[in-house]
Amino acid sequence: MSADYSTSAPITWCPGCGNFGIKTAYEQAVAKLAEDGVPSSDIVMTAGIGQHAKMFDYVTTSGFYSLHGRSLATAQGIKIANPELKVVAFVGDGDTLGEGVAHFVFAAKRNSDITVICHNNGIYALTTGQRAPTSPVGYKGPSTPHGNVEEPLNGLVLALESGATFVARSYSGKLEQLTDIIVQAVQHEGFAFIDVLQPCVTFNNTYELYNEITYDLEQSRETLDEALDVARERDKLATGIIYRTTRPAGERALLRGRVPATDRPGRDARREQVKAVLKALEVA
Amino acid sequence: MAARDVFTFLVGGQAGQGVKSAAGGASEILAGLGRETFQLDDYQSLIRGGHSFSVVSTAPGPVSSHYGRADLIIALDAPSYEEHRDQLAENGILVRNSDEVPDGEGIGAPITSLAEHYSRPLLRSGVSAVAILCCALGMDDEELSATIARIYPKDSKNNVALAKSVHEAVSGDVGGRFRLDGDGKRRTLIAGTQAMCLGAAAAGLDVYIAYPMTPSSPLLHFLSTHDDDLSVVTVHPESEIAVANMALGCAMAGARAMVGTSGGGYALMEEAFSLAGMSESPCLFFLGQRSGPATGVPTYTEQSDLRFAIHAGHGEFARAVASPGDVAESFRLAAELLDLAWRFQSPTVLLSDKHLAECTVTAEVDIDGAPWAEPIAHEGGDYARYAETKDGVSPLLFPPSDEMIKWTSYEHDEAGITTEEAGMVVRMHDKRQRKTEALAEAVRSLRTVNRFGDSGPVVLTYGSTTMSALEAVRAGGLDVRVIQPVYLEPFPSWELNELRGERVVVVEASAGGQFAKFMSEKAGVNVAAVIKRYDGRPFEPTELAREIETAIG
Repeated sequence: MSADYSTSAPITWCPGCGNFGIKTAYEQAVAKLAEDGVPSSDIVMTAGIGQHAKMFDYVTTSGFYSLHGRSLATAQGIKIANPELKVVAFVGDGDTLGEGVAHFVFAAKRNSDITVICHNNGIYALTTGQRAPTSPVGYKGPSTPHGNVEEPLNGLVLALESGATFVARSYSGKLEQLTDIIVQAVQHEGFAFIDVLQPCVTFNNTYELYNEITYDLEQSRETLDEALDVARERDKLATGIIYRTTRPAGERALLRGRVPATDRPGRDARREQVKAVLKALEVA
Repeated sequence: MAARDVFTFLVGGQAGQGVKSAAGGASEILAGLGRETFQLDDYQSLIRGGHSFSVVSTAPGPVSSHYGRADLIIALDAPSYEEHRDQLAENGILVRNSDEVPDGEGIGAPITSLAEHYSRPLLRSGVSAVAILCCALGMDDEELSATIARIYPKDSKNNVALAKSVHEAVSGDVGGRFRLDGDGKRRTLIAGTQAMCLGAAAAGLDVYIAYPMTPSSPLLHFLSTHDDDLSVVTVHPESEIAVANMALGCAMAGARAMVGTSGGGYALMEEAFSLAGMSESPCLFFLGQRSGPATGVPTYTEQSDLRFAIHAGHGEFARAVASPGDVAESFRLAAELLDLAWRFQSPTVLLSDKHLAECTVTAEVDIDGAPWAEPIAHEGGDYARYAETKDGVSPLLFPPSDEMIKWTSYEHDEAGITTEEAGMVVRMHDKRQRKTEALAEAVRSLRTVNRFGDSGPVVLTYGSTTMSALEAVRAGGLDVRVIQPVYLEPFPSWELNELRGERVVVVEASAGGQFAKFMSEKAGVNVAAVIKRYDGRPFEPTELAREIETAIG
């Protein structure tokens, strides 16, 4: 199926960048969702800041181009205001596991009904290649010319431990798998995290490495512990939906059926509400 | 000094003794007589122990401060006795808990041993304070019972029993010692934070998002409690950064959001504040100042964030900052600032402090006069989120929509797509400048300055010190004019040009005299003296009256 939700903005990703694959998979997913009864106008996106975030300029999806690390906070604000929207938050591994890690943990903890697509290239590419929270020990970049001395953080494990109810990994080169995972993630009610491995052809070309060590997980794991085992693997990386479960989504519990952006009492009705509360403060 | 029919009640004890509730009860009783009341709660940053006290001052006419000298002082523990025994007014009565202070001045009442007949005796001590007040006002047993049952409905039977035993213990010395007049009219007791919540609600608030921080936490608590009553959603997320960014997300989806915090939290929100400017997101920020900098003195008051409030956020963009001078104005400004935020798709700041936010007073608010916050809506046809318009304000459209609606932190073109192109950068900067001018133009038609008094030297105040200064004028019978800028940004220079070169006295709670320097810069006033208080406590009216007299003399 072909789907074109492109804007006319010239794309400034490097030729061969994994982001092209993610963009195509996302557009295909939007088209598939439209077939499945989710019109593209119901989808709203957020992005952090980084190469990943340029997605915002390149697709016609409405949304909010947020601050570095804050894509998930903005996304949850949108979802709280109108829980009927499908919210897709694009993030980078540096952006969401560094600057924005608190929002990541809490969105998962809340089981916020958003889909998070993480462009995981293992570095901060837009700012010229510094190590990221996901970089291995020894990584040499402009801020660690003698080699990174910190162990990497595992976003999948963090998502699972924080309460995410849909956790998947994919690869920017596996369009069909990634498209399908995005569709399922958006349709999942609850926090869906998709860690998308992508080579950075300029600063961290993991293309050959990922071709070698990724493998398809034929079936998602039944229990959280099994899922964590798969997520913790370092010598090989599973792609597919690793774990999915059902838990009430955060906004559903918070809002109890209300849609703040549209269920608004009119001016007169609200005045009556205020008067009633004030009446209770009257002195006998 | 002119005599005023002010009666002041003070109750002190440790945290956990029900001091604040007792003062609340006192406010209800005194207001119920048909009088105006002002309640100040002084408490420390702890949950148990320490020292806390509350003061309720009441008068048949306006009263906008507590007084330092009290007519009835009730010391529930020894530290309170030591702390407040010298604050007794002439012909005042001091009642001490004789179990804690067996020998001393005033009247001893065995409050602890009486309370120990019941469960939770420490918390129940506060009931004794109210009972003593009732006794002092001349209430009989029946009135006392009814009053206590109404004020302390939880386990009222035991509260009434305790109250009666306390009444009996003190009635010989205290009974009927104060006869207070009132006009019998019904009044409403409102805290500053409650007025702010209700004002924002009246203007159409949909979502309130906050992280607990004194003195803004009461807004979160009040709106959470009344969420269904007001159809408002409240959210308490992981940090102030989450708070502010979520609020902007809400705006993009069409919900009116407000956030609340104090200086340290406002600092954390600052990047989002700038984002509100670039993305043109409506958002109302409540900034409740407290003694700073950094963590400061969390539960005490100050006015040292004036410049911070006005200049927050990197980059240049429109914002409105206004500071209410009393509880009624807190209601009005919360509504007005939410409305301005949505009319001009900008961040607005309701600037106050612990003293005003957390005082509880008899007040009337104007509900029907509140605006209803609505943005200018896209009428149809092609949509561009940042369409260049004459006044810089672009029509809004909310998802779901077939149109492309893009809000952004980057510099952008009319569609909201990122730009680096020099010409477009200029165009969008100019658009935001036009919007800043349009906002200033709109503010011209609002009440931006309050003036009190017709003659005499000028005293300048803003925010809560207005309450203090007005009470000082009443207490001292001073012949001065009090002028209070309500809006600080845009600055109402059109209203204050008459003050250019005028010799003024400034009253503010700032060690550096921030407001004085600000007024000197913006209005060209000649600051003759700055009366400062920065010990974390609000001005006391009789002291302030003397200081003003000295300054103008």
